[in-house]
Amino acid sequence: MSDVVEAYGVQLIGETDWFTAIEICRVCQLNLEAVIEFADLGLVSPRGGSPQDWRLPAAAVPRLATAARLMRDLGVNVSGAVLAVELLEGRRELQRQISELERLTHR
Amino acid sequence: MEYRDYYKFLGVTRTASAEEIKKAYRRLARKYHPDVSKEQDAEQKFKELQEAYEVLKDPEKRAAYDQLGSSWQSGQQFRPPPEWASGFEFSGASRPGSERKGAHAFEQEGFSDFFSTLFGGGSPFGGSGRRAPPGGRDHHARIDVDLEEAFGGGSRTLELKRPELKADGTLELRTHTVRVTIPAGVTDGQLIRLAGQGEPGPGGTRAGDLYLEVHVRAHRLYQLDGRNVTLTLPIAPWEAALGGTVTVPTLGGAVEMQIPAGAQSGQKLRLRGRGLPGQPPGDAYVQLKVVLPPATSAEARTVYESMREKMAGFDPRAELGR
Repeated sequence: MSDVVEAYGVQLIGETDWFTAIEICRVCQLNLEAVIEFADLGLVSPRGGSPQDWRLPAAAVPRLATAARLMRDLGVNVSGAVLAVELLEGRRELQRQISELERLTHR
Repeated sequence: MEYRDYYKFLGVTRTASAEEIKKAYRRLARKYHPDVSKEQDAEQKFKELQEAYEVLKDPEKRAAYDQLGSSWQSGQQFRPPPEWASGFEFSGASRPGSERKGAHAFEQEGFSDFFSTLFGGGSPFGGSGRRAPPGGRDHHARIDVDLEEAFGGGSRTLELKRPELKADGTLELRTHTVRVTIPAGVTDGQLIRLAGQGEPGPGGTRAGDLYLEVHVRAHRLYQLDGRNVTLTLPIAPWEAALGGTVTVPTLGGAVEMQIPAGAQSGQKLRLRGRGLPGQPPGDAYVQLKVVLPPATSAEARTVYESMREKMAGFDPRAELGR
């Protein structure tokens, strides 16, 4: 068992924080080509002209990171990863609605 | 260290073909992938699958692994034989970390000591120099927080497994325990960046960052939508009809709220700024739910009968038409 170390440099990434294309590639462990493909398929909506100048919202990070993991771990292609991410998000929203309905009906 | 039966992890026989191994991995990875799976121990199972597949998909590693013999059982105490993996030729083409289009190197963090010793960085199979940018990679993890913690902040102790190079050149997995302060006002899906808590940078270069994706657990009373919270507030029929002041629980403590006369079930009232803190803070919405007292006593029945007589003109289904 190791000693507990306090984590410094804790930063909350807000809805107003944006990532450059280079940052998003590093954070999500993707290359730019893959990010462009994901953007083409509508998984993320970058702002800016050329991909090198793109800026992406913080909400793009979990989407792209999940898609990257699905591609790497399950061997799905870009389209499959986009579909899976969207279905997973849909499933999560449905689960949220179900728990809300359960909460309402059990009160 | 303990022996790991990679064939057992993948549910295949020792004579399975490369195609059978690939199919077994794909099928089980789909079942246990932490992003997809609902299984309790999905993350651990998935790491075992990854580790097993990392070895068995590679003919060189599989041959070396098979050389250990078939009499070992998972969990049995194991020590690598002397001159481990000698006599093999390594193509170098299938190092761990060989890249797939789009996604970066295979993750070996979280693999067992067994793997690290036999196939990790200090072994004859260990890859090197694959990383394009200098420094450690960023890592991702998910933390589940209660709504109260999202509102008021809190702390979490995370156990992070990191491979570290030992003096003899082999890799060792060490657990680092890090306490993280959860800032007040985190919302569902938001990211927390912990600078320097990702993969350590080789040779003293910059360590990667750790990104924590916040998941706010469902709450017994409140529903969260961004920074806004909604509470369903049961009220009595006379409170709805006549109005009145009621005590409403909020995340920051109970407040008094005025119910307007003539309120209806489903109506939403807003308590500005009583949601999650932030810039701007969220609001609390109170959704009214009129609850009828049961007509189980003679007195209650008398009141309902009186209402039926005196309010005969009231038609709750008027909008449905006839």
